[in-house]
Amino acid sequence: MSEHDKIRELLALAAADALTSAEEKQVAEHVRSCVSCSNELEAWRPIATELRRLPTPQPSSWLVQATLARAEAKLTEQAEHDWNRRVMIVVVTFAWLLTIASWPVFHVVSGRFGRLLEPQFSHTWISFAAFTALGWLAGGVAAVMLAIRQRGERRPA
Amino acid sequence: MAVDADVVRLRRGDLNALSELMTRYQNRLYRYLLRIVRQPAEAEDLFQQTWLRVVEKIRSFDASRNFDAWLFTLARNLAIDHLRRIRPQSLDEPLANSWHSETAADRIPCNDHTPLDHALAAERRTEISEAMAGLPMMYREVLTLRFEDEMKIEEIAQVTAVPVSTAKSRLRRSLEQLRYALEARYPGGTWQ
Repeated sequence: MSEHDKIRELLALAAADALTSAEEKQVAEHVRSCVSCSNELEAWRPIATELRRLPTPQPSSWLVQATLARAEAKLTEQAEHDWNRRVMIVVVTFAWLLTIASWPVFHVVSGRFGRLLEPQFSHTWISFAAFTALGWLAGGVAAVMLAIRQRGERRPA
Repeated sequence: MAVDADVVRLRRGDLNALSELMTRYQNRLYRYLLRIVRQPAEAEDLFQQTWLRVVEKIRSFDASRNFDAWLFTLARNLAIDHLRRIRPQSLDEPLANSWHSETAADRIPCNDHTPLDHALAAERRTEISEAMAGLPMMYREVLTLRFEDEMKIEEIAQVTAVPVSTAKSRLRRSLEQLRYALEARYPGGTWQ
């Protein structure tokens, strides 16, 4: 491809201001000496100019307000979801910590009172019952807290 | 690149930041969507979907990146999914209807020009917008991103998910197609 043909291909992009500085320089030098390319570049210019002047269709204010309202509702919903997740993590972590921490306590308690009973029974069943009770208690607390919060947020202002 | 303060605030869940961003981008985004789908009702629906997607994904957005390109990429993906679902042929085929619309601002008279100048300018705008509406979607898109949104080639490449060289050749082809369309529609007119 000749230099002239290469430059010719760049003319539309030159009118669109989409050339690199090196390409711009090449085109500028060429059109100074080539009448045909100079005319061609001039033919591209009104197209580029009119494209830049096309009217901008605008969204209606109703659309913008409705979109904003929906997006804000989504943002609030996400914030609520995040809060619920954090609460759940805290409650579950707390339940596990409590369960683990309660093991030595139950060990001591079951050691003292268990002596009166059969040893295997005291170690196994009391610990199992305490573990289950704590688990259910922590889950119940989490569920009640989340329900109270959701009910409060759904209540109309 | 400077980090957009509104984007950072939106990532923290600030509702005012969302309003600020919407005010800043509403016209550009709506115009871009309208250029792609050409139907106002569809553009309005996609406009809403895009902002909901922004809220949904804003935390995964790297605030040091270009928000414009990210926003337009989200809009583009939604628009293309929509077109594939509703009118698969419209991704390549021209549509008879024109999307051209005039705003109140366009009707404000300018003292620098005569009524004849205005009439001629309006006619040229109509001609070019009708010719543009007849181009395939990928050409309309690249023209609006370059000339109306004034995006650089690198940004266009980012939005359209193609290499810079492809974006550049696509822009050149879109201009050539537009010129052919103008010359064919209006032979002997001012476009030749």
